[in-house]
Amino acid sequence: MADPAYSALRKILLDEITPVVMVLPTPLVEERCQKNGLSFVQMLTPFCVFNNIDVPVRTASDQPYRLQKFKLRMFYASDVRQQNVEVTKERLKQVITDAGNNEDSDLYLDPSPIETIPISSQPDFIPTWFQFFNKELVRSVSFSDHEAFDHPVACLLVVSSNDKDPINKFVELFNMNQLPPLLNDGAMDPKIPKVFVLVHDNQDGSPERATKILAEMRNTFGANDCRLLCINSLQDEALDHEPNPWEFYMPNASPDQHLGRLLNKEDVDELKDFARDLSSKDIIPNMEQRIRVLNQQVSATRKGFRNQIKNLWWRKGKEDAPENQSVNMYTFSSIESQIRVLGDYAFMLRDYELALSNYRLLSTDYKLDKAWKRYAGVQEMMGLTYFMLNQSKKDAEYCMENAFTTYLRIGTSGKGNATRCGLWWVEMLKASGQYKEAAGVYFRISGEEPLHSAVMLEQASYCYLLAKPIMLRKYGFHLILSGDLYKKCDQIKHAIRAYRNALSVFKGTTWSHIRDHVHFHIGQWYAFLGRFDVAMKHMLEIVACSHQSKPMQELFMKNFFQILQKTGKTYKISRLQLPIVNINSLNIVSEDHRTYGSPAAVSVKESIWQSLEEEMVPSLTNAKTTWLDLQSKLLPNKLKQSNVCVAGEALKVEIAFKNPLQLSIPIYSVTLMCEYSPNETIPDANNSSVDQSIEDEKTTSDTSLFTLSEVDITLTGGETTLAQLSVTPRKEGRLKVTGVSWKLSDSMVGFYAFEPDLIKKRISKGRRKAKQNTNKLEFLVIKSLPRLEGIINNLPSTVYTGNLQRLSLELRNSSEIPVKNLKMKISHPRFLNIGNPDKSDVNFPSCLEKEKTPSQKDADLDTTKKSDTIFHFPEDTIIHKETPFVLPLWFRAATPGNVSLYLTIYYEVEDKSTAMRYRTLRTHHILEVLPSLDVSFNISPCPSRLQEYIVRMDVINKGLKSLKLRQLSSVGSEWQISLIESIQDIIPSGNLASGQSLSCFLKLKNAKTTETATDVWLGRIGSEAVFDTQRAPLVNFHHYEQLHPKTSRKEQEQEHQSTVDFMLISEMEETENQPPQIFSHHACHCSVATKRPIWWLLEGPRIIHYNMADPFCETKLKMTLHNSSTFSASVRINTFDSPPGSSSSGNKVGWHDMTSPPIEIRVPPPESVKAVALESVPPFIWTGLSTTHVKLEPNSTTEIGLLVTTFAPGTYDLSNYTLHWNLVGCDDVREKEGVCGGHPFYLTILREE
Amino acid sequence: MIVCIAVVGHQNNPLYIQSFTEADDALKLHHIVHCSLDVVDERVNNPKKSGPMINETFLGLLYPTENYKVYGYLTNTKVKFILVTTDLDVRDADVRNFFRRFHSAYLDAVSNPFHVPGKKITSKTFAERVSTIVKSVSFNTAG
Repeated sequence: MADPAYSALRKILLDEITPVVMVLPTPLVEERCQKNGLSFVQMLTPFCVFNNIDVPVRTASDQPYRLQKFKLRMFYASDVRQQNVEVTKERLKQVITDAGNNEDSDLYLDPSPIETIPISSQPDFIPTWFQFFNKELVRSVSFSDHEAFDHPVACLLVVSSNDKDPINKFVELFNMNQLPPLLNDGAMDPKIPKVFVLVHDNQDGSPERATKILAEMRNTFGANDCRLLCINSLQDEALDHEPNPWEFYMPNASPDQHLGRLLNKEDVDELKDFARDLSSKDIIPNMEQRIRVLNQQVSATRKGFRNQIKNLWWRKGKEDAPENQSVNMYTFSSIESQIRVLGDYAFMLRDYELALSNYRLLSTDYKLDKAWKRYAGVQEMMGLTYFMLNQSKKDAEYCMENAFTTYLRIGTSGKGNATRCGLWWVEMLKASGQYKEAAGVYFRISGEEPLHSAVMLEQASYCYLLAKPIMLRKYGFHLILSGDLYKKCDQIKHAIRAYRNALSVFKGTTWSHIRDHVHFHIGQWYAFLGRFDVAMKHMLEIVACSHQSKPMQELFMKNFFQILQKTGKTYKISRLQLPIVNINSLNIVSEDHRTYGSPAAVSVKESIWQSLEEEMVPSLTNAKTTWLDLQSKLLPNKLKQSNVCVAGEALKVEIAFKNPLQLSIPIYSVTLMCEYSPNETIPDANNSSVDQSIEDEKTTSDTSLFTLSEVDITLTGGETTLAQLSVTPRKEGRLKVTGVSWKLSDSMVGFYAFEPDLIKKRISKGRRKAKQNTNKLEFLVIKSLPRLEGIINNLPSTVYTGNLQRLSLELRNSSEIPVKNLKMKISHPRFLNIGNPDKSDVNFPSCLEKEKTPSQKDADLDTTKKSDTIFHFPEDTIIHKETPFVLPLWFRAATPGNVSLYLTIYYEVEDKSTAMRYRTLRTHHILEVLPSLDVSFNISPCPSRLQEYIVRMDVINKGLKSLKLRQLSSVGSEWQISLIESIQDIIPSGNLASGQSLSCFLKLKNAKTTETATDVWLGRIGSEAVFDTQRAPLVNFHHYEQLHPKTSRKEQEQEHQSTVDFMLISEMEETENQPPQIFSHHACHCSVATKRPIWWLLEGPRIIHYNMADPFCETKLKMTLHNSSTFSASVRINTFDSPPGSSSSGNKVGWHDMTSPPIEIRVPPPESVKAVALESVPPFIWTGLSTTHVKLEPNSTTEIGLLVTTFAPGTYDLSNYTLHWNLVGCDDVREKEGVCGGHPFYLTILREE
Repeated sequence: MIVCIAVVGHQNNPLYIQSFTEADDALKLHHIVHCSLDVVDERVNNPKKSGPMINETFLGLLYPTENYKVYGYLTNTKVKFILVTTDLDVRDADVRNFFRRFHSAYLDAVSNPFHVPGKKITSKTFAERVSTIVKSVSFNTAG
């Protein structure tokens, strides 16, 4: 480390521990000196510092040495006393306050960054007044009686030459009553060397009188001790000393005081010589002599073995005495005081070895005497002496610590001394580079007095900064502590400085609690000082204090707004953190040729729309060339790529605001910031672009270029709100969205500039058409175009499945230019169907009813026949301004669940000159479909009829409301359907309540005739109003149901004949007066086909009366065979004469036989079956061929005649035959061939009476 | 009584600070914890020469303030645990044991796949577990 010779402490000690000269002037002397604006002491002070005095000194040893630097401290006798504590306090406070005010200028500058501080390792950043303050602190405890270096070594008696009777004046001056207490109470020897000075003012006249007096003085007081000092040689004209020697010592003097203005060069030289002579000829020799005398005494009484023993014994004896530590215990004549004087004199004359040995001697004495204050004082001096000797650092520190703790131990009287000792100790540690330890000592110095503590803590913090390794956090912490203490003492400026320095530590760290605290307090204090602009700077830092507790946030916000209000300025803050803008949520919707009916439609994927539109819209590349070809004449090539929006149409922007706080914050006037530039200036748009962001209000009001929407939002705590903003360009040109701005209050505007790069990156990642979006925020505004708006009236949001409703689509065109050539496509034709535009006012639902006369089919029935699903509006449809076009729509909720319906309408613009030839309107509708009826059908062939089926219909109401069944229809004209039993028997109320199920049986018959009863009325009797299932819209919806793969159970390759479609129509009466809600449920492709390809039916008379004249009776029977398969079949019928073998199923009766599918074919061969006794014991025989073989073409029917002969009356079961079939060319093993036993056929023969 | 427990990341960023006092002294404790990091740095950079200190995670008493004692613990990933207690007569073994338990709680918290390393620990489970550990520990040798 630095050589202690040059250390600060050495300088301090050489400055502070120097001989004191007591000055006793007459009032006239002072008056003369004040002509120069100086007191006598002040006048002399600059010349009492000698850098090169070069005086030989010989103390105790015989070896003389030369003193180079020397200093005298001049004090008036009245000042040579301990100061009043209160006065000292006030003075120190004044020092601090002054320092604070002096710092005013740089208080508002930005603090230097912490990184640069350690480099300039010298403490130039540390406030300079610390040294001054420390000096003052040290001086406040001077002139104590327990130490001798403050005791005056000489006394100057100063009398003016104008004084009357100067000799007597000299005697009067050294009046015991006015002497300082040190001399009076015996702490020091009153026999102090005196120097008699006569001051002559040259303005008072010639120096003759003065020389006369001087001669008189010399006679009276001795020649050596008398001096003459002539001043004020200049007559009236002022002289400015350059450099002024007094300025340094009187920093408070204003320059126009002209310090020493009447002193010419000779006067100054005389002063110099006077001081020099005083020290080298009087003071130093005196001290030398004193040292030698004292040293002799001390050696005589204390040195040597004998003296030590004696001393020890003597002190031991004293121990018994009560500890009456009276002040006068050690008078100047006591040996202890003398040793102390000896040590201090030696110290002041730099004979440190001598000083140290005496201090050592003294320290044990005082310790034994328990004179703690004196002990501490001696320890302190020992420490300093060790330091000055530059040896044994450890001893020096030990002594200082010992002194420090001892001072502290003795209580309040030692406090000031402890502080002084501590400060010296700190300097000692600093000198050896132990900054950390120094900081610790500073910390210990700081006592109860908050202001002193604040200064000490601040000094401690700077020590941490200088420590190696640097301890930044402790630096910050101590600064904060000191700042708080400053604040306590109303030293706001100091508090701000401390906090601001601390801020450099906490800035950029994540210790946000502390950082907020610091910013908040700095802000408040600046506001207290009236510097609201600076305060605001700090308050802005704590605005987004999301991590703080709610009361804290409230406090912060309250203060923030208070200060903001007082500032009286309008702030425009980029990226204000309240609220936080979520840039990722930025979504800009512009409408070019694609327009959207609702915000929901915007969020739908582009691919969905494209797939819907691809057939309607002229193909993409084609479209592009067409309208861009047109434009290429008007617009520069560069623009082709940019986004397009239409003048007069709003550009919608969505952006999310997040409130980081737990409080709710209202924000006002949320609006977009945009720039507009006319079209022509695009290549170099920058210079002439009209910046129309909101900062200049003049252009904002100008609505000719574009209009902005303003939104007010209240964000509750922690909430994220999506703000919907819009800008509407008015003229062609280029529009650029540059950002979003909002007002937190009237004078706090936050804005967020969108960075094009950021957004571009996001887009290219997210969307594939990034190439087009070179700059998503820039838009080409083109001429105003017509824009269709479409709504579907009365579209319900919640419906039950199957509900059929009549809606209407209303299209409006607000532009003057009409549109034409409309086309529409619906994404889900199962749900929406287009009605006949001609019949716009029909009565629903009665329009569905069957007309009495068979009407011609409606025109809109054709939609089912069309291969594509694009609806072309009638050719002549042109939508003009203010004449809405209404298109009837049929709606049927086909499937339960959440359904999104997409509608896109294509239209062309009549005006050919516009940039866009066509546009599309995209609408999106979401509805929820609840389940209602669940219908299922099971068809089984009727065993007793050919081409007839039994249908079991199971209906369950899964909805929440009861439904009334209305009718069941088979769609088409081929199937005749009829009830087997009355519906009233099954469900008398006709209402199907929620959760209720119903099963009923119906008969189904394939009828080829045109007039077939395809409908069955299930409702109340008497109110039959059967709906025509052949007409729109039912048939249309049915068509789409058929097409839908889920409902069609079989593949389309199935024969039309073998499947049947059902439509169940029901109604729900919601309110009394309203027409009921109509529901239709469709079941498509219910197969009637069975696994058995061959059908047969045995027909013939059942009861025959015959007279028994003939021995037997022949009955003719007819068997109808039907081949339902697609293959030609060969069928063989075998008859047996043995009684029919009943299979297990043979015993069963009734419809069970029919329902159990007649598929299980492999009847056991009849031969093996045991005959079952029937009533008809006599057998019958099949006459005719026992085996008949026929060939059947696919789907053909043939009849075979059979003959049975009976011999007796009775009832016979004619089921003893089997059918064998073989399909030709069929691959299905199960269907290829099979055998089946006969159906039961009972023939009763009755005897004819 | 344990007044405060803190987890500080390897860049000296606070990951978790929890005080267990009724008084509103969060700021003070923040300061104490922040300040003690200097001492941790000092300890780490100038390890004592004694042998058993190598690989020792427990840093011991960092510094005594007027009313508190501050203990430190350094994991292998340079994450610091700071403990502030008002108990003045504390055995090192007790503190060591406390830190060991706290460390395992911390490990579980950062092993959560949803925890982002270097970000504040927001897990409620961790907070609960820490408070149970804190409640269960009593440094008073008398108790």
